[in-house]
Amino acid sequence: MKTRRLDVRGTKCPVPIVRAKKEVDGMQAGDVLEVLATDPGSMSDFQGWAKMSKLAVLKEQRTEKDETGREVYVHVLERRG
Amino acid sequence: MGEAGPATPSIEVGDLLSRADAGEPLLLLDVRNDEEFDTWRFEGRRPIETVHIPYFDFIEDPRGCVDRLPRHREIVVLCAQGGSSAMVVDTLREAGLAARNVAGGMVAYGEYLQPVRVPVDAAEAVSWEIWQVNRRGKGCLSYVVRSGREAIVVDPSRDVQWYEDFARRLGARIVRVLDTHVHADHLSGGPALASLSGAPYFVKAGEGFELRQSVEPLADGQDLRLGGEAGVTVQVRIMATPGHTPGSCSYLVGRRHLLTGDTLFVTSVGRPDLGGHVVEWGRALFRTLRERLAQLPEDTVVLPAHFAGPDEIGADAVVAAPLAALRRVVPELQIADEEVFVAAMRAALKSPPAAYAEIIRANLGLVAIEPDKATEWELGKNQCAARAMPAVS
Repeated sequence: MKTRRLDVRGTKCPVPIVRAKKEVDGMQAGDVLEVLATDPGSMSDFQGWAKMSKLAVLKEQRTEKDETGREVYVHVLERRG
Repeated sequence: MGEAGPATPSIEVGDLLSRADAGEPLLLLDVRNDEEFDTWRFEGRRPIETVHIPYFDFIEDPRGCVDRLPRHREIVVLCAQGGSSAMVVDTLREAGLAARNVAGGMVAYGEYLQPVRVPVDAAEAVSWEIWQVNRRGKGCLSYVVRSGREAIVVDPSRDVQWYEDFARRLGARIVRVLDTHVHADHLSGGPALASLSGAPYFVKAGEGFELRQSVEPLADGQDLRLGGEAGVTVQVRIMATPGHTPGSCSYLVGRRHLLTGDTLFVTSVGRPDLGGHVVEWGRALFRTLRERLAQLPEDTVVLPAHFAGPDEIGADAVVAAPLAALRRVVPELQIADEEVFVAAMRAALKSPPAAYAEIIRANLGLVAIEPDKATEWELGKNQCAARAMPAVS
């Protein structure tokens, strides 16, 4: 089981989800992907996409501040078995 | 699926609104998430046929989504900022459907300004004109009053260059910038427009507020003269109309056009609860409506700072109403007893606009406005009326 990290800070929709889907498609069952985004709309977007997705499960969402003081939205996804 | 290419066909917000207002049979595909779609919609003056499929559904299952759409109609695609909708337009076009992207999405819709000329009598039109600048997406109304080569701007939005250019197109320069009050729902362009045009700025914050904007004070009852050329002038009278905020002012242009700010709208009154003093401010609003505005003649034309929905826009595209009509139809104006009025204001209490505390602080000049934050704070429609307004009509 591996954990990957995807940094899409500074990008706007649809980029965070387009790139997250690409990552998840290439992962093994049980692998985890942590997505770092700065778009506040990504919170609802990841919830909505995970409901639709056949492969990604949304395990957790949290808000952090990065070293420059920016709000960062962290989305933790797991590849379905 | 990649990002949108430069060849993605698009439509500007202004063109889309003109087509929607004219009743063209449009098909709008809104690709935002459920939460964004439920809280704020793209509205024309006539209903727009709208389909809602989030863009991430297209990422997950493009074929299934395309199959839900008609093949022989042009589809206009809308999202929050124009990026996701451009991607969906490309997907639709690859599948052989006709589609266009709304450039800039809801952010552009929220910032778009539409100038509409307010009808006045032929005798009045000789000397002056009033333009109502309709910020359609937010339901905010600002005004440009011109007489001769001089213009006054009231309640300008953040895009101050727009007003400067508009005044120039009218052949006038901006000689004064006024706000009716310290706004809580949108960022005032007042101070920035004043410094851009070199004109004095006025807003009254009222007791208990620290105002750090540079202001040229004006007194209740004071008359400003605009124009100056022989015979071509109009008088603008300052009227203190406290209630929505303690410093709220209305501006009477000529004899009968009253810019009421958030004191009186065409279907309701301004909510007096945004300062945490609903009883005190509610009493002030009652007295303003019953005493101050009651003295004005029946043919006074009320030009407010907001509207709640496109049904308030008249056939002439203006949001306005004669005071006589409002005395008959606005429920809050029917209440003759102060205690009953205050109780009604308390009963109408609702949650404040999302970022109102930050917006008030910025408008008072206590914090600088960061452009990114400004867009985020201003998302969504105004919620300034006292009655509960549906988020969508």
